[in-house]
Amino acid sequence: MSVIGECIIAFIFGSAVGLLVQRSRFCNTAALRDAMLFSTYRNTKALLVAMMVLTFGFTLFMTFGEGKPMQFDVGLNTFAGLFIFGVGMVLAGACTVSTWVKAGEGNIGAVWALIFTFVGMFLFSLVWTVDFWPPAAASMTGEPNLEALQLGFANAATLQEKFGIPAVVFGLIQVAVLYAIYRAILRKEARQAGHHRDVAKSHVAITAAPASAPVSDPASAE
Amino acid sequence: MEFFKKTLDPVIALMAIAILDIFLFLVVGAWTVGGGETMMTGLIAELFMGDDLKRLPFWNLVFVPDAGYWKIYISLGMLFGAFVGAKLSNEFYLRFPRRMSEWVMITIGGLLMGIGIRLAFVCNVSTFFGLTPQMNLGGYLAISGIVAGAWVGSKIYKKILEG
Repeated sequence: MSVIGECIIAFIFGSAVGLLVQRSRFCNTAALRDAMLFSTYRNTKALLVAMMVLTFGFTLFMTFGEGKPMQFDVGLNTFAGLFIFGVGMVLAGACTVSTWVKAGEGNIGAVWALIFTFVGMFLFSLVWTVDFWPPAAASMTGEPNLEALQLGFANAATLQEKFGIPAVVFGLIQVAVLYAIYRAILRKEARQAGHHRDVAKSHVAITAAPASAPVSDPASAE
Repeated sequence: MEFFKKTLDPVIALMAIAILDIFLFLVVGAWTVGGGETMMTGLIAELFMGDDLKRLPFWNLVFVPDAGYWKIYISLGMLFGAFVGAKLSNEFYLRFPRRMSEWVMITIGGLLMGIGIRLAFVCNVSTFFGLTPQMNLGGYLAISGIVAGAWVGSKIYKKILEG
């Protein structure tokens, strides 16, 4: 496909995503933060559903060698980088998606976060080198390279190659795991709702009691 | 139109995004944001530094500034789509962080996000909407990292809110 074609498709995709995220108030940061801080799962559930659909779709096409999976080596830097990112996104109150979406809604804080994301990227580019860690091109050979803390490259397609089992089978196992997490969240929400009902009932009992008779007074009850 | 009056169920929104993402995966590659942001950083830096930027190996070897990089247009599209959605539903207005502490947190948070993306070569979108669904080893490393990071971030955030 031509460069312009790719850019147009990317723009159309981005516009649809921007619209859907704006209208649904989905937030990836909230999906993690709210689950941890407030035990609310509105965004977490949506994220899990998307991941189930994507896992099935991607691994299905990868079974037939279709699609364009990401190809690069991963290692300790992948974990460390996303750890730093995770701290940052909670502090900024936005991730890479919501900074753009909130900027589109006129949120100047999000624009500010974007500017400093760019600054952070530029600062880190100053320390990048070809031949030593942090993630250096020479250490990425596609194979595990423990000296450079690199683990090489592996995905559903390489699993298929190695074990001769279709990639989609591995995909379905992952979908099942994601679904189990989703179900666990639903169960937890049901428990929370039950607890809320109990609390509401006891509130009614407490506020109603003095108005009727002082039966709750242990002295008179005996 | 109803679509611009009521808040959309995020499960429905994310299902639609997932299906679109599968199409994008077949044509150019899965949804990602960090790569486009890096390229924008390079283009902006080139504007200021000109040919001096080429002396930095990262911009000479990994991300050579190129305005024809498709990932840039995902970000610009998100900005545009969100603007249209906000305008049509009368939700567009300029909002400023009120307290100084918010400005400081956003500044530090933004810097950490930028540094993290460049260290990992992955952003949160590729983590959840690209690598992990492709069952890439990096996806599991990245999810462990972002969950641990968000937990630490939440602890700090709570301290600041209470303090």
